[in-house]
Amino acid sequence: MLVYKAFFKIIQKNILQILIYIVIFLFFVVLIANTYTDPTNMDFKESKVNTVFINHDEDSKLLEGLKEYISQNANLIDIPDDIQKLQDALYFREVEYIVKVPKGFTEAFMKGEEIRIEKTIVPDSASSVYMDNLINKYLNTARLYISSIENLSQQQLVNYIGEDLSHETEVLLFNPDPEKGKNIRRMYYFNFLAYSLFAILILGVSAVMIVFNQPDLRKRHSCSPLKLKNMNFQMILGNISFAILVWLIMIIPSFIMYGDYMFTKKGLLFLLNSIIFTLPALSISFLIANIVKSKNAISAASNVVSLGTCFISGVFVPRDFLGETLLKFASFTPTYWYVKSNHIIANIDRLKEEDIRSILTGILIMLIFALTALAITMVIKKKKYTGQVSGS
Amino acid sequence: MYNNILGVFILVIKVDNLTKRYGNLIALDHFNLEVNQGEIFGLLGPNGSGKTTAINCILSLLKYDKGTVEIFNKPMAPDAYDIKKDIGLVMQNVAIFDELTVYENVDYFCGLYIKDRNHRRELVEQAIDFVSIGYYKDFYPKKLSGGLLRRLNIACGIAHQPKLIILDEPTVAVDPQSRSNILEGIQRLNKAGATILYTSHYMEEVEQICTRIAIMDKGRIIATGTKEQLKAMISSGEKIRVELFDMDDNILQDLKKLPHIVSVEYEDNFLIVKSSRGKNNLLAVLDYLKSNNIAFGKIYSEPPTLNDVFLEITGKELRD
Ligand SMILES: Nc1ncnc2c1ncn2[C@@H]1O[C@H](COP(=O)(O)OP(=O)(O)OP(=O)(O)O)[C@@H](O)[C@H]1O
Ligand SMILES: [Mg+2]
Repeated sequence: MLVYKAFFKIIQKNILQILIYIVIFLFFVVLIANTYTDPTNMDFKESKVNTVFINHDEDSKLLEGLKEYISQNANLIDIPDDIQKLQDALYFREVEYIVKVPKGFTEAFMKGEEIRIEKTIVPDSASSVYMDNLINKYLNTARLYISSIENLSQQQLVNYIGEDLSHETEVLLFNPDPEKGKNIRRMYYFNFLAYSLFAILILGVSAVMIVFNQPDLRKRHSCSPLKLKNMNFQMILGNISFAILVWLIMIIPSFIMYGDYMFTKKGLLFLLNSIIFTLPALSISFLIANIVKSKNAISAASNVVSLGTCFISGVFVPRDFLGETLLKFASFTPTYWYVKSNHIIANIDRLKEEDIRSILTGILIMLIFALTALAITMVIKKKKYTGQVSGS
Repeated sequence: MYNNILGVFILVIKVDNLTKRYGNLIALDHFNLEVNQGEIFGLLGPNGSGKTTAINCILSLLKYDKGTVEIFNKPMAPDAYDIKKDIGLVMQNVAIFDELTVYENVDYFCGLYIKDRNHRRELVEQAIDFVSIGYYKDFYPKKLSGGLLRRLNIACGIAHQPKLIILDEPTVAVDPQSRSNILEGIQRLNKAGATILYTSHYMEEVEQICTRIAIMDKGRIIATGTKEQLKAMISSGEKIRVELFDMDDNILQDLKKLPHIVSVEYEDNFLIVKSSRGKNNLLAVLDYLKSNNIAFGKIYSEPPTLNDVFLEITGKELRD
C-alpha cells in the first residue's frame, strides 16, 4: 500500500490549508448554535425567554395568575432581589427580562387606576418585545374584565383571564412548534457543511493528483513493475478514505450539538444526504484535480467552485432570496439538490411519501453527477496521455 | 563486455529500426542499438538528438511508429512486468516526491520493486550511502541543493539493485564534486554486476567511464565502438600546438608540405597543426622548426577527441 500511504503523506503536508476550512466550519457551527435564526421566519417564540419575577407587592391572586401565565410562556428564573446580582445576571445573559411589581400594584390595578409594572431588559433584545406583549396581553385582558364586570373577585378574574388566554394562545401564536426553529438551524449546519466539505475535497484531492500527475513521476511509476490496476486501486481507495474521513470530521459537531436527534429519522436523513453529497463532491474534485496544473490554481479552484456552487444553491442566502434563473442555473450543480433535500428534511412536520420521493430523486441526481464527473475525468486523462503508453 | 566464462556476448538490450515521429519531426530514425551484459554503454549526442526519446521508447514509456525492442531477450511492452522488475531508470529530470523525506523517497521507489520490508530497509540504506546523502536522510527535497537532488534521484532509481540501469544525463547542471561522485558510482555499480546504458552530451564523461560508445545525431546512430575504435575511424589524428612569436607565410607553406599534415593555422601566437593518422608527426614539425632556426615556446600535443569524430562525420561541433 505504498501509493495509499504516499497519498496521505501528501495530504499531511497540505494539512494547514485544510485545517483553515475546518476552523471556518467550526466557527460557523458555533455561530449558528447561538444566533442563527431563519430570516424568512422571524418568530422568536421558539426559545423561551429567561425571566425573573420580582414582587414588591402583596402575594395577590392577580399577581399569582400573572406569574403563572409568564411561567407558561417563558423560563422563570429564581434570582434573589439584589441589584448587583440582577445586573450580573443580565450582563451574562442568564436572564433577559426582569419584571418588577411595585408596592400597592394589586390594589391600584383592581381599582382601575393607572399603574405600571417595571421592567429591566437586555438592550436591543427581540425577546423583550415578546415579553412586553405577553404581560400587556394579561393585564389588558384583566382591565377589560374589571371595567366590564363589577365586584369581580381576584380569583374569578384570574379564572376568566386564564380561559381567555389559553384560547387565544392557540390562535395567536404563529408557530407553536419550537422544534421547527431548531430544524432550520440544523438545516443551516448541514447546508454549510457542503461548502467546507467541497473546498477541502478539492484542496486535498488536487494536492495529491497534481503530484502523481507530474510527467516524470508518472514515468517512474510506469517503468516499475507496479501494475496499473493496482496503482489505480490504491489511488481510488485513498480518495474514498480521504472523503469519508473529511465527512466524519464534518459531522462530529452535529452529534455533539444535537445529540440523540441525529438518530431520529430526520437526523439520519440529514446524514444520509450529506454522505451522498460527498460522492459528487469527490468526483468533481477529482475532475478539477486532473485539470489544474499549479498549487495556486488549486486554491483558486477550491475557493471559486465551493463558494460559487454554495452561493447559487442557497447555502449562505435563503433560497427565496435567489432569482428563478439563478436557481435554474444552480440545478446544474449537486449542491443545489443537496440543499433542496435539506430544506425538505427541515421543513416538514411528518415525512410523507412524497417528501421521501423528492429526497430520493435528489440522491439519484447527485449520484448521476458523481458518475458524469468521473466519466469526463477518464476522457480527459485518456486524451492527455495518448502517445504515452499507460502500462503500469 | 562479454561473458568471460563462455567467451560470448550476452545481449541485454537489442533495438532494431526504431522510428519515432513527433508530428513532422522524426525524433528517432531507424535507430539501432545493442548493449551487452556487463557493459557501460555510452549514448553520446548533442541536445535534441533524441537520447531521451530513445530511452522512453526502449522502456515502452512512449509509443513508437516502427521497430522492435528486446530486453533480456524478451520483447519489451508496457505490461512486461517481469522485465521491468530488473531495470532501474534514472531520468534526466529529477522525479521525486517533494512531500516525502529523502529516506521516504528512496524507500517508496524501492518499494515499487521490493516488497519485503527488512530486505528493503537494507537496500535503501545502501543506496543512500552509495550516493553519500546519509546526512540528509530526514531532509525534505526542497532543502537540498541541485547536486544533492540529482544524487537522490539516482538513489531512487537504483536502490532495488537492478540488472540493467539506464541513466539519462545524470550529471547535467551538477557541481564538480557531485559529478565525480556520480561517475565513480556508476563504475562501482557496473563492477557489482549491473549493465549500464548511459546518455550524455559531455564527451569527456563518456570517454572516461564507457566501455563502448554510440554517437547519435538527429535520431540516428552515426558511429558505434570503443573510444579507440571511434577515433581510428576518422582521418584526423593528433593536434599539435606550438607557441611561436615570429611567423610568416613561408613557414605555413613549408609545414603544409610535410607528410600526414592536414591543416596548418596560426592564431594568438600559436601554430596549430592538425595531422592525419601516423606517427612522429610532432617530431617532424619540431625538426623543421629547429633546422630553420625558428624560436618556439611551449608545445602541446592533443590526441583526437570524440568531438573530432563528431565533427568529421557531421560537419559540426558536438557542443555549440
Ligand atoms: N513531446 C514532444 N513533442 C514534440 N517534440 C518532441 C517531444 N519530445 C521531444 N521532442 C523533440 O524530439 C527531439 C529529440 O528530443 P529528446 O528529448 O529525445 O532529445 P535529447 O537527446 O534527450 O536532448 P537533451 O540532451 O536536450 O535531453 C528534439 O528535437 C525535441 O524537440
Ligand atoms: Mg534528453
